[in-house]
Parts: sequence; C-alpha cells; structure tokens
Amino acid sequence: MNEMTLKKPRFLREINVIITILSRDITLFFKSPGMLIMSLAMPLVMMGMLGGSLSQNMAGGLGFDYNQYLLIGMLVNMLFMTSATGITSLVEDHVTDFTQEMMISPISRYSIIIGKILGSSFAAIVGMFGTIIVGLFMGIYLTLGQYLLIFLLAPFMCLSAGSLAVIVIGLIKSNKTANTAVMLITMPQMFLSGAIIPITHSSGVLFVLSRMMPMTYCLDLTRAVVYAGTPEYANVVLFNPFISLIIIATLTIVFLVIGTFFFARSEKNR
Amino acid sequence: MSVAQSLQAMKKGMVNNMKNMIHVGNLVKQYDKAKTPSVKGISFDVNEGDFFAFLGPNGAGKTTTISILTTTLSKTTGEVSIAGYDVDKQARHVRENVGIIFQQPSLDPQLSAEENIRFHACLYGMYNYRPSFKMMPKEYRRRVLDLAEIVGIQDALSKPVKKLSGGMQRKFEIIRSLIHTPKILFLDEPSQGLDAVSRRGLWDYINTVRRESGTTVFLTTHYIDEAEHVDTVCIINQGLIAFNGTPDLMKQNLLKQEVILDSDNRPELTNELISMGLAPRIEDHVIVPFQDMTAQEIIARLQTKLTLLKMQEPTLEDAYVDYLLRKGGNIA
Repeated sequence: MNEMTLKKPRFLREINVIITILSRDITLFFKSPGMLIMSLAMPLVMMGMLGGSLSQNMAGGLGFDYNQYLLIGMLVNMLFMTSATGITSLVEDHVTDFTQEMMISPISRYSIIIGKILGSSFAAIVGMFGTIIVGLFMGIYLTLGQYLLIFLLAPFMCLSAGSLAVIVIGLIKSNKTANTAVMLITMPQMFLSGAIIPITHSSGVLFVLSRMMPMTYCLDLTRAVVYAGTPEYANVVLFNPFISLIIIATLTIVFLVIGTFFFARSEKNR
Repeated sequence: MSVAQSLQAMKKGMVNNMKNMIHVGNLVKQYDKAKTPSVKGISFDVNEGDFFAFLGPNGAGKTTTISILTTTLSKTTGEVSIAGYDVDKQARHVRENVGIIFQQPSLDPQLSAEENIRFHACLYGMYNYRPSFKMMPKEYRRRVLDLAEIVGIQDALSKPVKKLSGGMQRKFEIIRSLIHTPKILFLDEPSQGLDAVSRRGLWDYINTVRRESGTTVFLTTHYIDEAEHVDTVCIINQGLIAFNGTPDLMKQNLLKQEVILDSDNRPELTNELISMGLAPRIEDHVIVPFQDMTAQEIIARLQTKLTLLKMQEPTLEDAYVDYLLRKGGNIA
C-alpha cells in the first residue's frame, strides 16, 4: 500500500472519498446529454405546465400569494425528486459491476452513500436553477436573499431525500424496479406534503401521512426561512422551524444508517 | 551434516520464514435459500510471493471463495485471513492490501480509462481528487504513464472505456488494480474473452510485476495452460479441495502416462509390448500407456529395433482433466 495513504488521517481520507464519488457523478452528468436535458425539461413540466395550470385556476382566496408558495414548493420538490431518483444510479452501478470497485476499496460504506447522495444533488441543483428560470418567465420570483437562503438549505433537502431513497435501493437489485419504487416514495410527497397544494386543512389518513413525510418538514422549514417576518408566515408555515430542523436531521440520520446497512448487507450477504 | 542436508535445512528455514499471505481454514459458504453449501469446508494457505492457481469447473466454488477472500461476500463459517488480517474483523486492512481483477469488467464505461484509474487511486486515499489528469500530482501522472507504457496503452488513456476493445479494458483494469501497489493480486479469470496476443501481453506484464514487486498472485482461470508455471495448483470441485500441490506433483500423480514408439517392424513391436502386459494402440505411431512400470523399464526390455522413441509429457491440463474425471467432476 502506498505510504501516502497511511499518512492521511482517516477523516480526511473519507472526505476525499466523498469528493471523489461526488465528482464522478458530476463528470457523468456532463457526459450524459440525456441527464442534462432531463434536468432542464423537468422544471418545464413541473413548474411550467403543472404549476402554471394550478396558478391560473386555484390562486384566489388563499390569504397569501399562491405563486410564491408554488415556486418554493416546486423548488423543494425538484431537489427532493431529483436527488431521490439520482440514487437509483447505485443500482445501475451494481448492474454494471461498478459497485464492486467501490465495495472492495478500504473506505466507509457511509462515505459511498453520502458521496452518491451529494452526487445526485448536483442534478437536483441544476433542476432547481431550471425551475427558477421557468418561474421568471412566468413572472414568479423571490428576492435574491430568499433564493440564497433556499440555496443554502438545498444540501439538507438533498441529503434527506437521498437517505430515504437509499433504504429502497438497499432492498432492490433491478434498475427498473428501483426507478418505480423511488417514484412511489416521491410522488405521494409532492401531493401530500404541501408542495403544490396547501395541507393546512388536511385531516384523517391524509393528515397522518402528511406528517410522516420528510418533505413536509423540508418544505415547512424552507417556507419558514423565506416568509420569516412577513404577515403571510402564519398562513403558510405549520411548525416551528427548529422542530422541522430537528425532525429533518433525525429522519436523515435514521434513514442514512438503515439505508447504508441495507445497502452494505445486500452487497455482502447473499 | 552433509552439504545437501545443510541446503535442505536452509531451504526449509526459508520456507518457514515466508509470511503466510492467505490463510483459509475450514471455510464454508451456504448462500441464502440454497439447500447445500457452495463451499464445503476448504482449507489452504498461500505464502508471500507465491503464484497460486485456484482451478475448478464451472460452479465449483471458485468465485464464491475469491469473493469471500476479497471481503465482498460474507462466509458462513471458517477462518479466513489475508496478509494477517481477519476478513470479517479487519476488512478495511484486508482491502488496503489486495488488488482485484474481477471476472466481469468493472470499469465505468462512461468515464475515460484514466478517469477510472484516478477514481480508484483517490478511493484508496493515495491522492486528493482533482478534476483533470493535468491537475493531479506529478507522481500520479508519472505512475499512470509508466504503467500505461508497460502494457502499451498510453495512447488510449483519455478515450472513453466503452470505445476500447475487451483486451484494452482488461489492461486498464490491471493498471487500476496495481496502482495502489497491493501485496496480493486476485485475478478472477483475467484473460476471459481476450485474444491470444492480448493474453500473452497480459501475462508478460503480470510476470514482470511478480518479479519486480514480489506480489502474491491468486489466480482462477479456465485456461489451464496459464497455470502451467505457477508455484501451487489447488483444484476445487463441488465445493471441496480435490488437489493442492505443485504442478509437477499433479502431473506425477496423473494416472495416464504414455510413451510413443515406432519400428520398421510394427507387428513385432506391438506383440512384444502386449507380452509385457501393456495395451499399445496404433495411431500415427505406436502409443503405449503405462502405469505400473517406468518408461525406462519398458525400453530396456524391448528387443525390436526402434525408429522412434518419444515421451509424451503430460500437460497440466491433462492432469486437471484426469483429476476431475476420477473425482466424478463436471469438466464442462
């Protein structure tokens, strides 16, 4: 083993591993025109078509600016969906045997997972910028400071979404099934967490489901930060932002530990 | 003590001082939902610098064993240590000390050949990641170029892996597996799908690495001729070790040995051989299989004047096939 390897502290080595895995995903992103096109086309469909239609037909009588509400919802939704979907590339790596290359390396399994989540976050951030641009064309925008705050919260959202997807990926070995399974966990979040439809009056099963979804807290935290100090705050924010933050952090860590365990186990225990 | 005895004692001492790089003790692996184990309590050791060939028919348990040895598969029971480290408790140390060429290519087809190598070197903590080859440290660039030159693929470094031939991809996998200078190199059917020229190039390079770095090599292959010059041959069949020893010992144990003879008077030669209790068969020449006597004894007793005398040297492949047939194995 090269002496340089032994000289580095373990923590720094793991950081380097995360950066390496993240950089590989960014390189692959720019080498795959399909991924780039998808990241820019998704905002057109989600924000332009779905958001535009809702905005034109449902925006009245809510007590707050629905367009702004929708834009924040779509930005978080874009981060969440793209990050979760990007994790399915782990299954693709397994199919092409590239996972073996990572599994035989002397690195923490957590570094592999965190690197993959951050790697898929890159496409999510591109999608987020696409959503902002589509919003601008629709005449929907926030202040620069508000965009910056959302951008700062973005890695948090991506980690939360990615860790949730890892649990699914750890249990699935087929690319097609993985894509469907991730779709199944992201789509309900879009409808039930308040991304496009306010959930203030949700009740019964839908109320319980909305409170179980990590994206509910991601959205609420983002809206709390963006609407802080405005009269609309009380109408759009459901929870104390610190509670949302704690719930997101707890869920992310729990999902990450369980997901990494499933992933490592599925690779080794057969 | 005679000179011969001293030499023998020295040799024995050297062997004892050699570090045990791979230890497998009573290893058992039963896959989930399988009714019987794939590996049924096998044991063997590989010394430092040895070239060890692990042979066996399809489904014998070779890849299962190599996967356990390289920490990518958990064992059911048994002891396995690599370079002195336990595969379960010290998996990280094991991984630091091994390089692997998998049966299936494991390069990322979307990345360039050099990007695959860079990715590997950074995962092993040798260098901090940089987004381009030019930005990587000089030492890395020199090492990659040196290795690429040895295997003659320096012009293909920047090409996407998906555009390279199978042989080229294999060569890049070798460079990748050696860049962190592992103590043990696992080769799981490394020449599968390669043409004859690529195979020869690959083996020339692996032999150079062995000679210069003293790397221990653990090989599984279906091309038995590749194992002709190894230090130890270990045959696994139906999850059990069928043979473990040197290629010479394996050939010596071969039941079928033949001497090729001919004479201007073939009928007389044949009759003479039959009278010795042998069963010659006529092909281009007279082929004489023997078992209970040596070739020298046969020749000494012959009266007929010979025009041809040739020993049929058994190959390792002959010995391997013979072993499997005797053990009732599937040689497909």
